[in-house]
Amino acid sequence: MSIKKFNIKVNGKNYNVEVEEIGGVASAPTPSAPVASAPVSSAPTGGGAGGITAPMPGNIIEINVKVGDTVAPGDIILVLEAMKMKNNITAPSGGTVQAVNIKAGDTVATGEVLVSIG
Amino acid sequence: MINNTTTNSTNTNHDKNPLDKLFQLQTKYMKGGSDASIQKQHDKGKLTARERLLLLFDENTFVELDMFVRTRSTNFDIHKNLPHSESVVTGYGLIHGRLVYAYSQDFTIVGGSLGEMHAKKITKVMDNAHKMGAPLVGINDSGGARIQEGIDALNGYGEIFYRNTKSSGVIPQITAIMGPCAGGAVYSPALTDFIFMVENSSQMFITGPQVIKSVTGEDVSAETLGGASTHSGRSGVAHFSAPNDETCIAQIKQLISYLPSNYGETPPTFQPNDDANRSVDLLNTVIPQDANTPYNVLDIINTVMDNGSFLEIQAQFAQNIIIGFARLNGSTIGIVANQPQILAGCLDIDASDKAARFVRFCDAFNIPILTIVDVPGFLPGTNQEFNGIIRHGAKLLYAYSEATTPKVQLVTRKAYGGSYLAMSPKSLGGDICLAWPTAEIAVMGASGAANIIFRKEIAKATDKEATKTNLINNYESEFNTPYKAAERGLIDDVIEPATTRIRLIDAFNMLHTKNEVAIDKKHGNIPL
Repeated sequence: MSIKKFNIKVNGKNYNVEVEEIGGVASAPTPSAPVASAPVSSAPTGGGAGGITAPMPGNIIEINVKVGDTVAPGDIILVLEAMKMKNNITAPSGGTVQAVNIKAGDTVATGEVLVSIG
Repeated sequence: MINNTTTNSTNTNHDKNPLDKLFQLQTKYMKGGSDASIQKQHDKGKLTARERLLLLFDENTFVELDMFVRTRSTNFDIHKNLPHSESVVTGYGLIHGRLVYAYSQDFTIVGGSLGEMHAKKITKVMDNAHKMGAPLVGINDSGGARIQEGIDALNGYGEIFYRNTKSSGVIPQITAIMGPCAGGAVYSPALTDFIFMVENSSQMFITGPQVIKSVTGEDVSAETLGGASTHSGRSGVAHFSAPNDETCIAQIKQLISYLPSNYGETPPTFQPNDDANRSVDLLNTVIPQDANTPYNVLDIINTVMDNGSFLEIQAQFAQNIIIGFARLNGSTIGIVANQPQILAGCLDIDASDKAARFVRFCDAFNIPILTIVDVPGFLPGTNQEFNGIIRHGAKLLYAYSEATTPKVQLVTRKAYGGSYLAMSPKSLGGDICLAWPTAEIAVMGASGAANIIFRKEIAKATDKEATKTNLINNYESEFNTPYKAAERGLIDDVIEPATTRIRLIDAFNMLHTKNEVAIDKKHGNIPL
């Protein structure tokens, strides 16, 4: 990097100053707080508060809860096979399972209320 | 230098130091609104307009402009009720050592309402940011138009919207919502590139709860209607949300560190904090043996990019696709990735909109794009078709085709049919297309394809099910691989997953000098 020379006058007195420009690399700032690492279901929540609806048409292949169970947000409630994928359907919020409207092997349509949590 | 010995016989205040008046006005104007209104702002957990700017800019770099600007209106004696300067603070300064312009609305002065001169202060920094090629940050905290100023206030909004649009693709424009932002005021943020919101203290809506109540009878709170969680999760209007003003401002500075100052520059590069030759052995086993089992694509992104550098955008909206900035060997890249954990990674209306806008931002500002593909198809359903998945999905095809910035594609697993074509394939100008051995690049899934191709054969067979299974398996091992695409050169290379970081760094290095000039035309007609 090139050195630039300056003549600076302070209170009537001359000073010779050399300024060197340092290369334009600085250390990279990293994201401070990684927020929201676990993806939560983006399914539209139809069917009232606490209703877990089918985000897409498919087959129920596994149900992990029964009426009366306590669940926490993010718990895998059931597995819906759709688009050749075993989709984990998680609880958007915690609570007690009020109703399970489906059984393994059922075919469901988009928006159908599968499980109610209150 | 002030020459105190100069006298002016015509000046009746000749015995007064002229600095006194300056200092007096500065003190008055710098304070903002009344003590009570400042206290109210702090009680709500909000910072004042100047406090926000001082946090935003590097220490001692903020230079204020137009401190003395005041309303010209005398309607309804508004000028008598406005003893202060205008209700917005504007100026420039440095962020990470780079020039940035900003405005910050002051809610402590007449509710931060926007009148003619308030708007003029904003448009002045917008014009400067545009001319100087520097990013613009707008901090919104305003009750809306200053009704007393009538059409002058309304015209002020129009002049801001016009400049937002003219500067789109010229400089990065970032808006933070740190208070109310209602009615027409929402369209300036909406025209900018990124919107930040603060939880529980900011709201955006076109018509507020009272209007909705009187027109449709719906009861909805301001927070539910237009709060940070609504807009970052449901509507997709906001790109980032933060628990308070301080975190929000830190996030804005973070985002700016990835971006070039204008369309003529490349993004800033940093001393890499990670080994360019790092092998990521975990990736050899990240894809589950069972092709129907989901995995988290963030595990791939976070291990391949420079240590801790991935900044996700719109993390709570359309989670079936992931977008964000990261650094690879110290340089910014934009990432678009299907998320198999959500909706099987299908493309739908929201995912298409989210990714397409991001691709266009990256292209406008010379940010290379990495597309990680594991997509089974477009999401089936009447809801999607009725709401226009055709025109929304088209945006993604359009954005990728239009982009001249370096484009690298990495197929990890599924890449089927039209959805594969929407994810930066060779045919849409993909510069380097790589695939893992687990890739399934095909026109459609095996069972669907076998049912069509071997329809007659299956019908004739005595054991239909066995014949069908057999034919599906054959089709799968023959066609659902990366090798058919690689035979045609649609995939440049099939790579060992552990070498992904090394290969991507090499690809983007090689593409550094890419120079593809867009066709000279007025502009295209993206399907909107």
